[in-house]
Amino acid sequence: MPKIKKKRTGFVIDMTPLVDITFLLLTFFMFTAKFKSQAESEQKFSIQRPKVSADTSKVPDKDVAIVKIAVDTVSLDTNYYYELANETDRPQVWEMSKSLTPEQRIKAQIKVNSLDQLSELIKNTRQVRASTKFAIDADKRLTFKWIYNAMDVLRKNNATVFNYVTEKRG
Amino acid sequence: MAGGGGQLKAERPKRGKVSKRKKMKRVGFYLDMTPLVDITFLLLTFFMFTTTMATPQVMEMSIPPEIEDEVEVKISELFQIFVRNDNKIFYTIGDEDPQEVALKDIKSLAERLNLKDAVKNKLITALKPDTSASYGTVVGILDELNLAEVAITSEISKSIDSTGNPTKRQRRFTIAPISEKETEKIKGL
Repeated sequence: MPKIKKKRTGFVIDMTPLVDITFLLLTFFMFTAKFKSQAESEQKFSIQRPKVSADTSKVPDKDVAIVKIAVDTVSLDTNYYYELANETDRPQVWEMSKSLTPEQRIKAQIKVNSLDQLSELIKNTRQVRASTKFAIDADKRLTFKWIYNAMDVLRKNNATVFNYVTEKRG
Repeated sequence: MAGGGGQLKAERPKRGKVSKRKKMKRVGFYLDMTPLVDITFLLLTFFMFTTTMATPQVMEMSIPPEIEDEVEVKISELFQIFVRNDNKIFYTIGDEDPQEVALKDIKSLAERLNLKDAVKNKLITALKPDTSASYGTVVGILDELNLAEVAITSEISKSIDSTGNPTKRQRRFTIAPISEKETEKIKGL
């Protein structure tokens, strides 16, 4: 019976393994976290990418120009958008493209007015850096006409190899 | 840090009590890690929720450059896939009549057609979507054709070419808008 008399002063859990694992996971997620680019935070649309079987090829990080075709979430109109990942090339290309309005010029991602303007942007991008890779990022619900027109512009500017941005199925 | 701690100890006036404590068994020390765990968990949950695991991938396309003169091809070596405006898929081989095909059957169809002895490694695949067909369907077909390529390439590389190396797969593919004549052809099917 004397055991009962012993005063209990609370208990201590050894949290060291918990902290170990938590820090491990935290560092993992911190390093893998990829934040939105300036262009992405400006945009008022989200693209539902077409789903395809798994592939290892990823969108190139640098020197990539993306032609986005998306439906605006507010006004519900479809439009072409042009994003240039390389931040040193971007001002040069914007400067060279004479058809850009002052409002368009300050943006990191341009809402393209016409196919001619898109053509001008692609042409200037290739002039500034010929190795720039092109990608088409379009919503899967759109009609093929939009994509075909963009492809035609790329073809006219001799960018015959490009990528379709897709998403893994499942 | 360690030096600072030592100094503090030296300044302690009551040595008697310290010696009394020395008699107690020291079992190590406990560090209250609760606030640390709190913050770490908070950050962990934040990063976990903001991470998007499904990063976009790409499908490479190469289209023929703009050329003035037309290239002549044998009609028997032409495998055409049409996508109608209601996203139904049809195919023709040579000058045969178009037949409907389901999206999931395209892979086996492409494999079968590409490995026919007469047209082996010569077949030209042409994808002709209607301008009002959905982009999702077109990419779906491209995906099926890419999947079929695995079996085709491995089958073709089994034979040996004139240089003694395995035969290289020459993929001939094009994507073009559908012509009015072709639209007319698949309209009533």
